[in-house]
Amino acid sequence: MLLVISFLVYLGLELAPGDAVSHMISPELASTITEEQLNAMREAYGLNQSFLTRYWLWLTSMVQGDMGYSMAGGVAISEIMAKTIPATLELSIVALIFSTIIGCSLGVISALKRGSGTDNSLTVAGMAGVSIPEFFFGLVAILLFAIELRWLPVGGRLLPHYENVWDRIPNIVLPSMVLALMMTAGAMRYARSSMLDVLSREFITTARSKGMPEWRINILHGFRVALTPVVVLIGFRLPLLIGGSTIIEQVYQWPGIGSMFIRSVRASDYPLVMTISLMYVFVVLTASLVIDILTALIDPRVRLGKE
Amino acid sequence: MSDKNNIALSVRNLKTFFYTNNRCNKAVNGVSFDVKKGKTLCIVGESGCGKSVTAATIMQLLPTLSRIEEGEIIFQKDDKKINIEKLEKNGKEMRSIRGSDIAMIFQDPMTALNPVYTVGFQISENLKYHTNLNKKQIREKCISLLSDMGIPLPEKRVDEYPHSYSGGMRQRAMIAMAMACNPKILIADEPTTALDVTIQAQIFELMDKLKKENDTAIILITHDMGVVAELADNVAVMYMGNIVEAGTADDVLRRPTHPYTKALLESVPVLGRGKDQDINPIKGSTPDPYNRPVGCQFAPRCNWKTESCDVMPEIEQINETHQIRCHKYEQFFESYNGKRDT
Repeated sequence: MLLVISFLVYLGLELAPGDAVSHMISPELASTITEEQLNAMREAYGLNQSFLTRYWLWLTSMVQGDMGYSMAGGVAISEIMAKTIPATLELSIVALIFSTIIGCSLGVISALKRGSGTDNSLTVAGMAGVSIPEFFFGLVAILLFAIELRWLPVGGRLLPHYENVWDRIPNIVLPSMVLALMMTAGAMRYARSSMLDVLSREFITTARSKGMPEWRINILHGFRVALTPVVVLIGFRLPLLIGGSTIIEQVYQWPGIGSMFIRSVRASDYPLVMTISLMYVFVVLTASLVIDILTALIDPRVRLGKE
Repeated sequence: MSDKNNIALSVRNLKTFFYTNNRCNKAVNGVSFDVKKGKTLCIVGESGCGKSVTAATIMQLLPTLSRIEEGEIIFQKDDKKINIEKLEKNGKEMRSIRGSDIAMIFQDPMTALNPVYTVGFQISENLKYHTNLNKKQIREKCISLLSDMGIPLPEKRVDEYPHSYSGGMRQRAMIAMAMACNPKILIADEPTTALDVTIQAQIFELMDKLKKENDTAIILITHDMGVVAELADNVAVMYMGNIVEAGTADDVLRRPTHPYTKALLESVPVLGRGKDQDINPIKGSTPDPYNRPVGCQFAPRCNWKTESCDVMPEIEQINETHQIRCHKYEQFFESYNGKRDT
């Protein structure tokens, strides 16, 4: 799987117009530079070899754990990744945790008070959250909280006077909340419908006929069963954790892997694009494994027999 | 028979209405009956006649769009009389009765158990809320309940999930759950409809045994006349929200006096009479509950209809136990009794 996708990505890059060298030279230089000089540069970077040879070279070194160097700037890719991945993870994990907790609880409340004013307003808010694109939210939030109210910084991750964890919080609030907003809306709608489905099942009546208090029926019997599809949904979002924050990272100048990916694609920076996309693929595959494990933990019907 | 101390539950003129789309469905429209300790009352009738709603009303497990309009449900708890209809729907008192004093078994054991909890856990919930047993005692009680229900290897089965139980075993587990706190009244809402006949016999045998051992009153809702003949001490026949005929099993099954009861009995095929036997299905179908006939609800389908049937007949006592709601019951009874004698 990884192999096939890596080949397709490599092919895509090859077919895209321009190469790394054409991005390296500045416009002023472009008018004076000769074809020989360009070819010499390509030779230096190994770009004049055939497509398959380059792919093979890249593949063999990748398998050996050598991610290579970025063509723009010549920094080791492992170094770039080590810098950008924590930034993205920090952002996405905060967003995922918030969206899951808030989304699930709002969804459950919405389901329990079905048809009420609370439910209706949450439904409207949920639809808005799902349908309005996140960069719009991002800009509105900057305008409101950063420019008008001046509560939070406009963007960036670490401030120059950064000292401890607490200094980082103001910077992460806006991007993570905007990122969480959409996920919250989705999780809420999902939790609501799943919960409604479960509440109409017969075992809820059975539970009620045992004389248990409502909260126990709703949480232990209702929510616990409703959780399975919600967990699957959140599991499928794990890859989004790495890939989904690209736009928000751009809006907030967050030095994460998303902005790095965009920069590298623009520069036709083969090794970097390949590494990042390979990592996306890896995360998607890992996520499906994690989902399977989580479902088995929650739903005993999926568990394997102990015999 | 008239000994008041023997009555476990007494329902008087109960009316439960459903409200949907600004229309009112009088699902249960003035039902009265008594259930005696250690006896089985069978409520029979066609689909949609209000049997299950009556049961749900007693447990106050009605859906949100329905409510108890009128009447009384008097539960005899030790020496106290409790008016169930006055209790708050999911309030503390109602909850303390549910599951401990009055327990219920549902129609489909496949869906009535929660798939994500072990059977033991689901039985133990009852004990946890209604007894003071500690964890270890609860577990022992669960195991002994399961073994009473005839489930093999209860020590192992107690930790299994419902999906590894068969249909019959699940219904046994449901009964174990219902019987966990030795309820005074057990309501069984078509407990064997989803099961095959051999399992059905085992389940009823089990219920009968429990009734005799614990002096539990059983309200059995069914449309299977064979089951009624086998188990019932008393029978109430319901049609469109009313009890049309009630009495001991002997009264109702051997001397059916309401045209509907008679028709119901005649529409059951009898095993062994061969395929050519005459089955007389009741003509027509049950009326639209939102567009009910005036007067006797059965009149449009009844061969004995006269003008007097445009007025709802009152309940009359034929003898001490046998009640009937029909204007023409005397003529009707004589007519076919004469026929049968010849």
